Amino acid sequence: MSATGPRDAAGPGSPTGPRGPARPGAPTGSLAAALRISLTSLRGHKRRFAGTFFAVLLGVAFLAGTLVMGDTLRASFDTMFGNATRGTDAVVRGADTITTPGESQGVRRNIDTALVDRIEKVPGVAAAVPAIQGAGQLIGKDGDPIGGQGPPTLAGNWITDTELNAYRLAEGRAPARSGEVVVNRGAAESGDLKIGDTTTLRTPDPVKVTIVGLATFGGEDGMAQTTFTGMTRADAEKYLMPKPGEAATVQVRAGPGTSQQELVDALTPVLPKGVEAITGQEAAEENSDMISGQFLTLFTTFLLVFSGIALLVATFSIHNTFAIVVAQRTRENALLRALGASRRQVTAATLAEASVVAVVASVAGLAGGIGIAAGLQALFPAIGFPFPEGDLVISGTSMLLPLAVGVAVCVASALLPAVRAGRTAPLAALRETAVDHSGASRARAAVGTGIAVAAVALTLVGVLASPSIWLAGGGAVLALAAFVVLGPVASSRAVRILGGPLDRLRGVTGSLARRNALRSPKRTAATASALMIGVAVVCLFTVFGASLKATMDQTVSRSFAGDVAVSTPSFGAGGSGLSPRLAPAVGERPEVATAVGLGRGVAEVNGQGRALTVTDPVALAKSFDLGTVDGSLGDLGDDGIALTRAEADKQHLTVGDKAELAFTDGKKDTFTVRAVYGQSELAGDYVITRDAWAPHRGQDSDTLVAVTFKDGVSAADGKAAVSAVAKEYGNPEVQTRDEYAQSAAGGIDMMLTLVYALLALAVLIALLGIANTLTLAVHERTRELGLLRAVGQTRGQLRAMVRWESVLVAAFGTAGGLALGGFLGWVLVKASDGASDSVFAFALPPTQLAVVALVGLAAGALAGLRPARRAARLDVLRAIAAE
Amino acid sequence: MSTATPRQRSTAPDAARVESAVKVYGSSSDTAVRALDGVSVGFPAGRFTAIMGPSGSGKSTLMHCAAGLDTLTSGSAYIGDTELGPLDDRRLTLLRRDRVGFVFQAFNLVPTLTVAENIRLPMDLAGRRFDRDTLEWTDALIDVVGLRDRLCHRPAELSGGQQQRVAVARAFAGRPDVVFADEPTGNLDSRSGEEVLGLLGRAVREMGRTVVMVTHDPVAAAHADEVVFLADGRLVDRMAAPTADKVLDRLKAFDARSATNSEGAPS
Repeated sequence: MSATGPRDAAGPGSPTGPRGPARPGAPTGSLAAALRISLTSLRGHKRRFAGTFFAVLLGVAFLAGTLVMGDTLRASFDTMFGNATRGTDAVVRGADTITTPGESQGVRRNIDTALVDRIEKVPGVAAAVPAIQGAGQLIGKDGDPIGGQGPPTLAGNWITDTELNAYRLAEGRAPARSGEVVVNRGAAESGDLKIGDTTTLRTPDPVKVTIVGLATFGGEDGMAQTTFTGMTRADAEKYLMPKPGEAATVQVRAGPGTSQQELVDALTPVLPKGVEAITGQEAAEENSDMISGQFLTLFTTFLLVFSGIALLVATFSIHNTFAIVVAQRTRENALLRALGASRRQVTAATLAEASVVAVVASVAGLAGGIGIAAGLQALFPAIGFPFPEGDLVISGTSMLLPLAVGVAVCVASALLPAVRAGRTAPLAALRETAVDHSGASRARAAVGTGIAVAAVALTLVGVLASPSIWLAGGGAVLALAAFVVLGPVASSRAVRILGGPLDRLRGVTGSLARRNALRSPKRTAATASALMIGVAVVCLFTVFGASLKATMDQTVSRSFAGDVAVSTPSFGAGGSGLSPRLAPAVGERPEVATAVGLGRGVAEVNGQGRALTVTDPVALAKSFDLGTVDGSLGDLGDDGIALTRAEADKQHLTVGDKAELAFTDGKKDTFTVRAVYGQSELAGDYVITRDAWAPHRGQDSDTLVAVTFKDGVSAADGKAAVSAVAKEYGNPEVQTRDEYAQSAAGGIDMMLTLVYALLALAVLIALLGIANTLTLAVHERTRELGLLRAVGQTRGQLRAMVRWESVLVAAFGTAGGLALGGFLGWVLVKASDGASDSVFAFALPPTQLAVVALVGLAAGALAGLRPARRAARLDVLRAIAAE
Repeated sequence: MSTATPRQRSTAPDAARVESAVKVYGSSSDTAVRALDGVSVGFPAGRFTAIMGPSGSGKSTLMHCAAGLDTLTSGSAYIGDTELGPLDDRRLTLLRRDRVGFVFQAFNLVPTLTVAENIRLPMDLAGRRFDRDTLEWTDALIDVVGLRDRLCHRPAELSGGQQQRVAVARAFAGRPDVVFADEPTGNLDSRSGEEVLGLLGRAVREMGRTVVMVTHDPVAAAHADEVVFLADGRLVDRMAAPTADKVLDRLKAFDARSATNSEGAPS
């Protein structure tokens, strides 16, 4: 970077004009010159890049924050599980798991506690205790169940050997008598329970328990939000295991001098077939993996997708800013070219400018990201989510990746404008003003239409003709591309239509706003594109969510013929289900005609893991519409199954065929297909009787009790009668058909709220883009604004004009986003429909979409506020005189 | 309309006037520049007045202050009977919109609006309904400036001279008390310039309008009924029935004088 470089490169005094120094020969010199030019211009126009700066900063901060938080959580969970299970050297458990489609965790067989005696005799074993584990949901002081919305609600025996117990007693004492329990402190706090309190534990049969102690897990108040209730071993066997003498695992501690691996090697020979031993470390890693590997990966991937959307939106805003800046600087660049700067130097100067903004904004974004992670670490415990303590884990990847992405996004967005800057003809310096290239060229329209046709064709094939999520996905991506390419072509017409009412409503102010928005179709389209993508994603999720709800509604109304449903509202792995004794008890009420309980079992059917519905098949048919039934549901007995027609076709089974069912207890039985039914919704793919399931079952529970009233019983009377019975069984919720359909969709609303919150960032970036474009436009139109003010436009009218322009651009983006999002939502619903057995319904929620549209417009008005205020502050005289 | 001010030589009432107008740019005592240094002048209604003076004499400042585009440091400015000093930005804007017309040197038209819309712009901004009278008046104006076949064109499709003619039509469209023109021919060739000056002259003589024009061109000033001369922020002379030669002679005299003075105030 010698001082001769710039002199060589710029060479303004060269008598040969533009040609003279065109070959500077020294690339370092030309770069130095480019950098100098760009730094000077950056200093001169800091405000112009404020929008770009914040767009990159926000995107990078979100990305870095996600990565740092993910790493930190992962490390904390590893430490927590390591601490909790440090004393356990080996775990003995069932070797095989049965996993049903759509579930990540398999079901393992229980083991015989008689094994404990045999294990204790193995050399090197210091202690061995059975660990019983099942589902048990505590009822809080207010009568509402604790947890159940995602993380598991666990119950087990309180292991008295403190080194083998993952939980530590923090207060009180261990349970000594039947009915005494220890609960983890987090659960106690969220249920407002204290030592000495008596409450109910749903196992799912309600059990009266008295809290005698509070426990911690790995030094924390709980294993994330999982709740745990520790009972005496006798209680645990009685309530959580199908029969006494069984346990989920045996925890083993090694004697001095025996390593974990040596212990496992010594244990393995004495274990019966189907039982395995793993080291304590492996067990801890598996547990930690279950949370960090599955839950955390899902969680961080989810967040990364949204930071990706935010950065995609940022790309449009940044590109637009540089395109405008380059257009505004045409004369300056032309002068440079006339004075002998090469194309490369002018391009490099613009790129250097972009790089400086990118690096500064990205570094600021990294700091912001660390701040976000630290903030969440502080915030999580405050909202009842124990965030394990520990320092923030800031890895090289979680810093370098966002930095690289931030710089790449910014520089790549500036690439085209920079090349355009390099192409500036030296003669442009002499022209009066930079003429904006019209974006509505015929070629663009042709290419865009071509892409749009391809997109629709691909999508229709992928959705209707030969259902494939990949074809449909490809079509969706092409549709997005078509929207972006066609934006400038469509913007003129769209703004003319959308702005039509403005002329009448706002007179000349509205007319001016509309025409300003029409001035540069390319710019308007690029500005609107950012918002369009944000709105499209919002709309996509809204449509998909509404469709899922409609699907559930349809499912319930089509196949549920009962009057009320009893269930425990839960989500994910939480909750403990309903007592199997509830359905018979409800059935005895005089108001009730039938009450059928549906339990859940798992088995491998001809080698494939499948979920079974455990119930009374005859009663089931009374409360659910099963479609046409071949064979007889009454003949299942203890060696027959019924299955849906779709599943029967897949397995090549018909009535009378034999199928082999392998259960979690290791037993295999041959069953005869006694019935094939039409509809699987709610009733599931396989039906098996309680008698057939009983020998193989684990903890007994029902997931749903469907109740049909006798003729002449009013809905209110019937519901009251069922509720009265339910109260004695842990007070599960009794819902009418509509209520049941709605609560089944409750999880969707929760998910949508989260998605909306995350998309707010992308929309914010899009708004920054609109504001920035307007600010640049106001700057560009200084003289015109001065003239308008001189001939009598009031400040209010001027502000309104800028604001309405903003609203129009936003309206165009919102309208495009709604159309694109609606289309993508339809594709997603239809593709899901084609790819799975269940029937998906497509729904366009008018209210929600109207709200999205209004929010888009309001956001446009908001984005226009600042540019409008700045425009109104212009001094009339100075504006007229401005160059 | 307004009462005649006895101080003035003309018998017609003033459409606009300033009294003891002082305009100081810059605040600190060593950088302060007195662009107007106690000017009192009236612009009689129904007359075409030109303001002349060398660069930095304060002629543009005088026009800006008289038209309500800028505010005086001391003294007072009137449009008709309305004193501009006490008016806030909003009232000043409304006054400009309803009672004053403007023709600037360049960039007179809003590029997004058609010729017809540019002409109607001040009235549209006022949200005024077009009565038959106004329609007839603007219709006549369009014929006078000769732009009937260009009404639906955008400014970018017109020549510089045509654009200035549209600006003239716009300035008179609302029948303002007074039209201020700031170097209206500065960017035009001499033929187009003649046309624009001719239009301004016709508007005064045939339609009874009032025009105040700032110019440094003696030929342009010769179209006026009267020329007022400014130098160093002071009113130094007035000339009725000017000709280009007389004006040029007077200017030469100033040049000789101002050579002894320092350059200072912005124009």
